[in-house]
Amino acid sequence: MQSRRKFLLEAGGGLGALALTSLEAATHHAPRAKRVISLFMSGGVSHMDTFDPKPALARYAGQPLSGKGDIVVRQGHPGPLMPSPFKFHRHGQSGLEVSELFPKLGALADEYALIRSVFSKSNDHVQAHYALSSGQIRMGFPSLGAWVTYGLGSVNKDLPGYVVLYDQRGGPFGGPANWTAGFMPAAYQGTVFRASGDPILDLKPPPGLSNDEQRKRLAALAKLNAIDAAQTPANTELAARLESYELAYRMQSAAPEAVDLASESAATKTLYGLDQSHTEPFGRQCLMARRLVERGVRFVQLYHGGLGNQNLDTWDAHEDVRSNHTRHAAATDTPIAGLLTDLKARGMLDDTLVIWHGEFGRMPISQRGLGRDHNPGAMSIWMAGAKIRGGQVIGSSDEFGYKAEEQPISVHDFHATILHLLGLEHTKLTYRFNGREMRLTDVYGTPIPQIA
Amino acid sequence: MLRICFVFGFALALFAQEDVATLLEQKCLHCHGGGLELGKLDLRTRAAVLRGGEHGATVVPGAAATSKLIRMVSGLDTPRMPLGGSLTEGEIRLLTDWINSGAKYPDRPLVAKQSVVSTEPPLRDADKKWWAFQPIAKPAATIDSLIKASLVKKELRPAPRADRSTLVRRAYLDLIGLPPTPSEVDAFVNSKAPDAWSRLIDHLLASPHYGERWGRHWLDVARYADSNGYEQDFDRPNAWRYRDYVIRAFNDDKPYDAFLTEQLAGDEIDHPTYDSLTATGFLRSYAKVGFREKDNPEFRYEYLDDMIATIGRGVMGLTVQCARCHDHKFDPISQKDYYRMQATLFGYVEVDQPLVPPAEAKIWREANARVDAAITELRDRIRILEAPYAAQILPNKYKRFPANVQEAIATPEAQRTPGQTLLANQVTRTTRASAAEIDRICSPADLATRRQLNAEIAALDKKRPAPVPMAMSVTDGDYRFTPDGPGDEPAPGKGIKAEAIAGSFLHEGPNRYSAPPSFLLVRGDIHAKGEPMRPGFPRAADWGGLPVEVPPASGQTSGRRLALARWLTAPENPLTARVMANRLWHHHFGRGIVPSLDNFGRMGDKPSNPELLDLLATELVTRRWSLKSMHRLIMTSETYQQASAIEDPAALSSDPTNKLLWRYPIRRLEAEIVRDQVLAVSGTLNQTQFGPAIFPPLPAELLASSAKGIWNQQPDGPETWRRSVYVYRKRGLPFPMFETFDLPDQNIACGARNVSTAPTQALYLMNDPFLLRQAHLFAERIREAGGDPVATAFRLALARGPKPEERTAVATLDLDALAQVVLNLNEFLYLR
Repeated sequence: MQSRRKFLLEAGGGLGALALTSLEAATHHAPRAKRVISLFMSGGVSHMDTFDPKPALARYAGQPLSGKGDIVVRQGHPGPLMPSPFKFHRHGQSGLEVSELFPKLGALADEYALIRSVFSKSNDHVQAHYALSSGQIRMGFPSLGAWVTYGLGSVNKDLPGYVVLYDQRGGPFGGPANWTAGFMPAAYQGTVFRASGDPILDLKPPPGLSNDEQRKRLAALAKLNAIDAAQTPANTELAARLESYELAYRMQSAAPEAVDLASESAATKTLYGLDQSHTEPFGRQCLMARRLVERGVRFVQLYHGGLGNQNLDTWDAHEDVRSNHTRHAAATDTPIAGLLTDLKARGMLDDTLVIWHGEFGRMPISQRGLGRDHNPGAMSIWMAGAKIRGGQVIGSSDEFGYKAEEQPISVHDFHATILHLLGLEHTKLTYRFNGREMRLTDVYGTPIPQIA
Repeated sequence: MLRICFVFGFALALFAQEDVATLLEQKCLHCHGGGLELGKLDLRTRAAVLRGGEHGATVVPGAAATSKLIRMVSGLDTPRMPLGGSLTEGEIRLLTDWINSGAKYPDRPLVAKQSVVSTEPPLRDADKKWWAFQPIAKPAATIDSLIKASLVKKELRPAPRADRSTLVRRAYLDLIGLPPTPSEVDAFVNSKAPDAWSRLIDHLLASPHYGERWGRHWLDVARYADSNGYEQDFDRPNAWRYRDYVIRAFNDDKPYDAFLTEQLAGDEIDHPTYDSLTATGFLRSYAKVGFREKDNPEFRYEYLDDMIATIGRGVMGLTVQCARCHDHKFDPISQKDYYRMQATLFGYVEVDQPLVPPAEAKIWREANARVDAAITELRDRIRILEAPYAAQILPNKYKRFPANVQEAIATPEAQRTPGQTLLANQVTRTTRASAAEIDRICSPADLATRRQLNAEIAALDKKRPAPVPMAMSVTDGDYRFTPDGPGDEPAPGKGIKAEAIAGSFLHEGPNRYSAPPSFLLVRGDIHAKGEPMRPGFPRAADWGGLPVEVPPASGQTSGRRLALARWLTAPENPLTARVMANRLWHHHFGRGIVPSLDNFGRMGDKPSNPELLDLLATELVTRRWSLKSMHRLIMTSETYQQASAIEDPAALSSDPTNKLLWRYPIRRLEAEIVRDQVLAVSGTLNQTQFGPAIFPPLPAELLASSAKGIWNQQPDGPETWRRSVYVYRKRGLPFPMFETFDLPDQNIACGARNVSTAPTQALYLMNDPFLLRQAHLFAERIREAGGDPVATAFRLALARGPKPEERTAVATLDLDALAQVVLNLNEFLYLR
């Protein structure tokens, strides 16, 4: 399978737009999802204030967290246990408990499987981002999207297979290394789509160079390259370069069309929150994501939370979890609920996987009375679509939410599960780098049994 | 009956519990329970098993098939457990039934029946006989005779010599990464001298641009970058000196053995020079978290691993880093070999070395220290002056915290509950009164005094001696006393941890330096220290006799790194010469004789022509490790001078990928060379060499994607139209044009770059403002040259004139269009 993938790349894939004839040709088993939308809440969402209610925090409020060994905080000294300032409500047939921060997502509780026992390795934002992005806390390893695109290719040859839309306030912690192709060819790295203007860097010629003029230049180029190619028959690489110009030319119209929201109905725009200033930015990202997957993009990576003012513009609630999380939940609740609703209405949710997570959870103890520090020991994530049984809760954290307790799920397990749903066996999806068969999950990972 | 069955079943379950317990005690607990909890997994109690280890849940009661324990012992997940031995089918069935019936433990404590013994597997004959470890045998042959011999076997013939205009372009782009000018092309094409080719090669090897081209290949191996990477992506203001060192070393044809020795032990050689101190930046080029490594030793082990990986792959062609957690799966590299090498490096500390004479450096350091001391004293006076005002301000500042915090602070310390103590400390230890706040309530007299003190501080600061040039180096020392650098400010309120041991950062004598102890780490876990380790070399490649420490006379370092360098460059060591000879071949022909440049082990490729590899390796050593001499040898071969066109179509079917080199391989130029060539052809290349990096302009949205670190944006213009090797290498934000054209990841040593063909490359060449501006400048150049524009464009960009059918194809284009089309040609982007 690898040599086949490699051959296809050399024969002119590029941009993850591998001309794999059918999805089944590349998978190891029947896939349940054909595409992924990943919603990365950058900065670290507090699980105790969103998806993992902890009544014990109210019972023991103001007391130290004891019997857990050394409490390692990122900033300053550990504080006492702090209850959530938010109420939790039961939702749907499942009765899933979700905090009042997410009224609309709460109402969709039966659509996603909630995992309350995910843990990671680092309490450093950047390392924790890389862990979720690539399975490694070190820089330089291919991202999940790169692996998926390598494994499956893209359906639409005029669009990249792996698209990244980051927060308009700035990139996430760790920047572009989050969507790198690492040691794989550049073709598998995420392509950043910008929220305004031309979506891709260098997509359009600058003003002053008309479409006709460009067409004329490309025609002359094609003729000259053809004359040259006659001397080097059977050189697939040169042939692929000829084709890459055709692809690039088509992409110039396909990419702007894919993210042009003008043709969306007013109702759809309202569904995603485009009519409200606080939900508009992420609503736009979510709606663009739906349009991209609709057009065959394999993996769309969204970020909410960008490096402008770290404490304000990301979920990094050191100062005040109430005000921080209220702001970010309000900005994302409608857009994400809109996305799930819309995908479902269009019949796409069954074979689209939607994942939601941050880079770590937060501490059950307070930071200076109102804030919460980083906590890689436990976090809540959810997965929707791909015929995953919604409303179920998998695993649990301890009574305070300090550490994963029942059925702890590692990031490798999470990644193995995602690949599994896409029809890929995580132990078999390998890329040979310098004499070793590299894997997204390194030598670890087990698909989560309740989902796989 | 029913009752009997029930009791019987119950008894069976009890027996099974006991069997499982025994199995765990015998096969699992010595690593997962008691003294060691590898993978943070403890199998001694049910609660601990359900909690799982660092890789997640181990047992889900009732669901054996998906339980990690079963997947691991049955080999469904890797590594198969137990390590070094597997369970029988019966034992696996026992565990399966036990999990399915609830995973109950017997009512007694479980105790490991064995302890961990770290053994080292003996070297097998097959290991000793592995080709890469064999002495180099010089064949009585030449490059051409060896290539021809392998062609004859397949009934292939070498291609004829390429025409002269192709050869001159090939030589220029290959050796200096810039195209020949039309007059340089003419001079060679029209030369009647019989030695015109070798004179051309000598001319190019003497060019200052040679090091900019070939030094860059080495910088890929050295995972060189100008920033730290990770969260802060701090600038490395002196990193460029190492880059310049590499370029100069190539230009000076520094023998490869000396080049390596300086990079590994430039501080330990007999007479360290500025160059050799700068060279040790090689070891320090790892991506760095930059957050108090001395308090977070796990980071330091990552850096050591990175050094081991870089030396292993880059110099030895061995994946030594694979033996960090266990013996190497495929190659004869034991875990102990890894920790021997780690011991060799373990004393390293990062240090910025002043590149001025020691006396001058001493004066500089002392002058700085005097200023620091004086400033510290003034700051103390300010603090004393401010104290009463701060005491007034702070209670007000506490008011913005919630009621429980205020209450905790208001409560007398002795009466606070444990929780209140935590809360109060969190706030009082991290809240400060700002200068502006103090200003508002300060008495006029105190305000004046403070202003005076601050003015004195500012004046003192100006009296600091002018900065001296510094190299980003390493030497031996004790990392536990590393002074704080950028990013090492302790987190608010955390304070500096007092060390429980005595020592100093750099060795201060009078005794000899001794490295801090290092240990074998069981399963690579820094919390599972095994036996203490001594430095040493991998056994499979150790020919004995060489010392593992060569302490320098100064006694300031251990001499372990120097010993490593001596061993690597010893005539008996076949790895170093073979690996480098293979790299040279790769860069000249696009593919190594061993295609996996960084891996000569069992998982790497075998040499396609072992005799040729040995010939080159012998020559490299015989020629006193002169790389320039090797270029001459390789490029004057007929093999190198072959045409790339396909003369014999039959050859395509018998060797379609040209593995045997029946013609010169066509290959795409690297990212940097594509950009450099554009600048050269448009006539705008600024040939300024060396010095701090340049920052060509980037779109604002792109800069926003990576907010940390620096990008000192310069306007597009002659200042930035320098060679690409001088573009700032930011780990967090690779230069997009380079990335599009397959820049290797800047964090891992990389020998062979990927070559991909992607529409984004076409988009760049079609639409990028830089490219279009250069195309316009190229058009201007064509216009100014007068005469036949098509001929000028082709001769400048392709070192040849246009063919009639090519003229027809561009007949309707204006000059700007012609210029851009030529810069997009396959022929322009490829070496052939």
